[in-house]
Amino acid sequence: MKHFTRLVRPYIVWMVLIVVLPLLLIVLYSFTTGGNELVNIRFTLDNFKKIGEPIYFDVFKKSMLLGIVSVLICLVFGYTLAYMITKYSEKAQNFLILLVTIPMWINTLLRTYAWISILSDNGLLNRLLVLLGLEPATMMYTDAAVMLGLVSDMLPFMVIPIHTSIRKIDKSLIEASHDLGAGNFQTFWQVIFKMSIPGVINGVMMTFLLSISTFVIPKLLGGGQYMLIGNLIETQFISVGNWNFGSAISILLTLLIVIGISLMKKFDREEKEENG
Amino acid sequence: MKDAFIELKGLTKNFDSQQVLKGIDLTIYRNEFLTLLGPSGCGKTTTLRMIAGFEEPSGGEILFDGVDISKVPAYKREVNTVFQKYALFPFLNVFDNVAFGLKIKKMDKTVIEHKCMRMIELMGLKGFEKRDVSSLSGGQQQRVAIARALVNEPKVLLLDEPLGALDAKLRKEMQTELKRIQKEVGITFIFVTHDQEEALSMSDTVVVMNEGIIQQVGSPEDIYNEPENRFVASFIGDSNIIEAVMKKDLLVSFDGFDFDCVDKGFKDNENVEVVIRPEDIDLVKPEEAKLKGTVKTITFKGVHHEIIVETGNRDYLIHTTDYFEPGLEVGIRFGPDDIHVMYRMDWE
Amino acid sequence: MKTKKARIASAVYITLCFLFFYLPIAVTMFYSFNKSKSLTNFTGFSLTWYARLIEDGSIMKAVYVSITIAFFATILSTVLGTITAIGLSRCRKVLKDVILNVNNLPIMNPDIVTAIGLMILFSSIMFEKGYLTMLLSHIAFCTPYVITSVYPKVRNLDPNVAEAALDLGATPFQALTKVLLPMLKDGIFAGMLLAFTMSFDDFVISYFVTGNGVQNISIIVYNMTKRTNPTINALSTIVILVIALTLILINVTPAIVKNAMKYVTAGLVFIIVFVSVFTGMQGAQKTLRVYNAGEYVDPAMLEAFEQEYDCRVVYETFDSNESMYTKVKSGAEFDILIPSDYMIERLIQENMLQPLDWSLLTNADGLDPAIMGFAYDPDNTYSAPYFVGTVGILYDRTVVSEEDLKDGWELLRNEKYKGNLYMYDSERDSFMVALKALGYSMNTSDKEEIRQAYEWLLDQRDTMEVVYAGDDVIDNMISGNKALAVVYSGDAAYIMSENPDMGYLEPAEGTNEWCDGMVITDACNDTELAHQFINYMLSYDVAYANSAYVGYTSPILAVTEELAGTDFEGINSYAPDFGYGKNEVFRYQETEIKQYFADLWTKVKAY
Repeated sequence: MKHFTRLVRPYIVWMVLIVVLPLLLIVLYSFTTGGNELVNIRFTLDNFKKIGEPIYFDVFKKSMLLGIVSVLICLVFGYTLAYMITKYSEKAQNFLILLVTIPMWINTLLRTYAWISILSDNGLLNRLLVLLGLEPATMMYTDAAVMLGLVSDMLPFMVIPIHTSIRKIDKSLIEASHDLGAGNFQTFWQVIFKMSIPGVINGVMMTFLLSISTFVIPKLLGGGQYMLIGNLIETQFISVGNWNFGSAISILLTLLIVIGISLMKKFDREEKEENG
Repeated sequence: MKDAFIELKGLTKNFDSQQVLKGIDLTIYRNEFLTLLGPSGCGKTTTLRMIAGFEEPSGGEILFDGVDISKVPAYKREVNTVFQKYALFPFLNVFDNVAFGLKIKKMDKTVIEHKCMRMIELMGLKGFEKRDVSSLSGGQQQRVAIARALVNEPKVLLLDEPLGALDAKLRKEMQTELKRIQKEVGITFIFVTHDQEEALSMSDTVVVMNEGIIQQVGSPEDIYNEPENRFVASFIGDSNIIEAVMKKDLLVSFDGFDFDCVDKGFKDNENVEVVIRPEDIDLVKPEEAKLKGTVKTITFKGVHHEIIVETGNRDYLIHTTDYFEPGLEVGIRFGPDDIHVMYRMDWE
Repeated sequence: MKTKKARIASAVYITLCFLFFYLPIAVTMFYSFNKSKSLTNFTGFSLTWYARLIEDGSIMKAVYVSITIAFFATILSTVLGTITAIGLSRCRKVLKDVILNVNNLPIMNPDIVTAIGLMILFSSIMFEKGYLTMLLSHIAFCTPYVITSVYPKVRNLDPNVAEAALDLGATPFQALTKVLLPMLKDGIFAGMLLAFTMSFDDFVISYFVTGNGVQNISIIVYNMTKRTNPTINALSTIVILVIALTLILINVTPAIVKNAMKYVTAGLVFIIVFVSVFTGMQGAQKTLRVYNAGEYVDPAMLEAFEQEYDCRVVYETFDSNESMYTKVKSGAEFDILIPSDYMIERLIQENMLQPLDWSLLTNADGLDPAIMGFAYDPDNTYSAPYFVGTVGILYDRTVVSEEDLKDGWELLRNEKYKGNLYMYDSERDSFMVALKALGYSMNTSDKEEIRQAYEWLLDQRDTMEVVYAGDDVIDNMISGNKALAVVYSGDAAYIMSENPDMGYLEPAEGTNEWCDGMVITDACNDTELAHQFINYMLSYDVAYANSAYVGYTSPILAVTEELAGTDFEGINSYAPDFGYGKNEVFRYQETEIKQYFADLWTKVKAY
């Protein structure tokens, strides 16, 4: 069956050119100064030192915190939704999952604009509050607004892998658990949840990635004062024009994510090893 | 010694609009090895799952020591199940799989340890406690599944075709093994299978089912030798089933001859069916028997030859250790107690 | 086993979740039928925006780009991904692990990093950005998803299957197409679907790697941030309905769809071929590549220009001067740019522009002398004004007292209006406010002055509960949500025409006088056509239509006077006070000062 090994060759070439090379270029930029002209480059570590400054450090901290909180919110609500969906018949499940998927097809920007219409000072929600005789509230440009936008964007990415993994669980395992004396609650924690961990990890990784690197949602819903890593990178490349510093932040962000994901994978593996 | 333990009364089950169990009445005794036997779709697994508590009956009762438990959830019943494909928890190792039920019951750690290790030893799995279940062979997984169920000391162990996934040799071993375990722990086993040989060799009582109805309940010998109807007769072993007329008590007529038999209690001239097991027929010289025919085929089967003899009315299936040349004229002979008369069923 | 109560609870929960998913979508659809331009205030049912959508060439083109890119990227990445996945299963372990890990990089890497990597790559090898770079990038980020969904299926295949096919006389190619592919159908389909979604919905990567007028829907939407308008809602309503219908059809009646798919594919290929032949034929014409801010032109004028001069205008939009600069710098080619003052100065300094031949600009006579010869281009050698204006304070006459207006910029620190004001989310404009309030030049390079301005902004932020808002200020001020806002004069004109309670103040300390101008790049070959375009935009009729449509002040004096007396009567912000001694225009900043501002601004905002 040696015939088929050759099939990977085109992709190797492609990968080197369009995946590896750009990353190397970013690394190169991050260790140099001299702006966008490659002619007068000079190696330096200043770009990384600069990240250590308190404001930038705070941006990283805030991004991480927001990422983790929004992932946790997604996990709680997404898991509940995914689990409840599995309680329906196969046909109904397919339909419900389809409904979860459709919003993913609709432009994130458009959905975010829609949230602006809903949350803004004279938006839908405030009109509703006024109609009910309540005080209107400022909802735009708050942490809550950004969180809402993020969660609504990321939730499907959490629901789908979890649902798939719960659905795949052999029904006889659940019966076996009941048979061995575990009630519904115990069966959920001892069997269903444990069996769905791969899905949870998948979902957490997807949403963590999305939340940590986003820049459009915080910009639109959080207002100008909302500065996350994604915004910082975008500003460096687009408005400030300091590609070297921007590259350094990108490299650091990539490292953060690689570490985060490796930790999660390790956790997944340990979970398995611990239990057998 | 026979002590009624589980009673099924008029049990029915509908899935959607289809009735898969059409009224099951069955008494199961303490400490017996009972087998539910039948082709797939006969309702045997459904019956088992209702005893386990995975299905709610559409009608009828399930009594445990006289108490109806049909509404009690599975996890509160004192029964445990060995599943068809074992349903071992893939994220737990052998020991933790076995300990699952005891941990749920929040038993003392040392007690769990002790009980589980004993059970693991009993199953011949010593040394495998820390192994990942997916790394075990089919037979070993089987033992883990049994250990996991038995460690909870259930009053009844339910086994849903547990040997189906094993190869022939392992199957034979596990049959003996199961029988030994049942003797050792001394509880009721309810075993579901579609393999008649398995049923006959292991059980104290065999329940033959078809199309949601119990066809016959009895010891393996009864079921084999005295099938109550054509279905049981054809499902259990090879047999010659012949439409006949019961002239009067002890006299039955088929293929143009009257034969003496040992059955009575039928109406005179009632239409019946007769079963003659192939090994009960002797082939003799044509002039020594009422029925005559020609050897059509002969196939060597290891212990015996399987011979088909063609007569004017039908082909007879005969098992014998002697060799007969195809084309040879032979006589077909059987004694009165080889003939087993059954009621004729209209359902076919 | 489940109680009725639990069932109801779960039904309620699921409904709430779906409400959460679909509320924004429903709102988007709802406002597509709005009569007015507002995205928060529904004034009546109309189909105007659908009509506008069909008329709007750039949106229709973006739709075409989005669909074709998604289509080609899906097909190519599916082919590449599938054969790679099949090959992978037969590779040595080391090679396999390396490939799989590298393959994970684009998935694990944040979009923005991937985008930047590709952007740097394309600019360093001088690859002209446009359709092809966008397509290549889409294939780059879609293929890993295809591999991750196909590879597990390949691994689960019985390894004997391919061997059986070969044993029965199939060639390896036949074994692949007749046996392996059918068995991998589900995985491939899932990968395809994922690739299409990713490609169709992508913004970040496309945004960074495109050029030459090639824009997909996301980019158009993003550039509209400046001034959102319901055409995009109309577009998304259509997209949503098409997608929902397709997905439901696929799931409900797979058989019908299978047949339909063939026709759809055939149809799509036909359309693509047709359009590319069509545009190819157009390619013989003269083309003019124009790069302007979003929502900053009356599209009808562009079409009229194409007709009149028998040429094709490739019109692309940007969301900020800085992103325009980055784009051009990283290889996107245009003939005409319409940036702001300080950016023009920068482009001049970096020798990126060609001087204008004013003798060809016959309509230049109409230009208001008060806005000519600003410091960024003292003799207007390189730029011709496009729109002009100032920055000022928009105030609610019913809330803000006349007396307080005398405070000028300090009005924005008057604690009477705490929590009742919007600052504009722009580094330069915010520092301009602070510097002017302190009596300094807004173009100062004195770090001490800048530091004081920073303190001013910090103090304002902490005492006033400031919101740094984007363009939703316009909608919010129309509804009178807050009493004060820093706005551009053109936006003020629009707001005041909608809400008569609003007034516009240009503080006595002086403000930013800005001017967006048309410039010709050094990449431009057909300078004759470029001059024709500039001259055309300066003609009375075109300038009138443009100004009436966009709401910003025209540099043509006669137009401003006419509109100030008609459409914008009584709106002082439409005709701001140009030439006031304390006003300044922005100058280009040296990198060091720029970085200093940027860091301080980050500190102001990131708290």
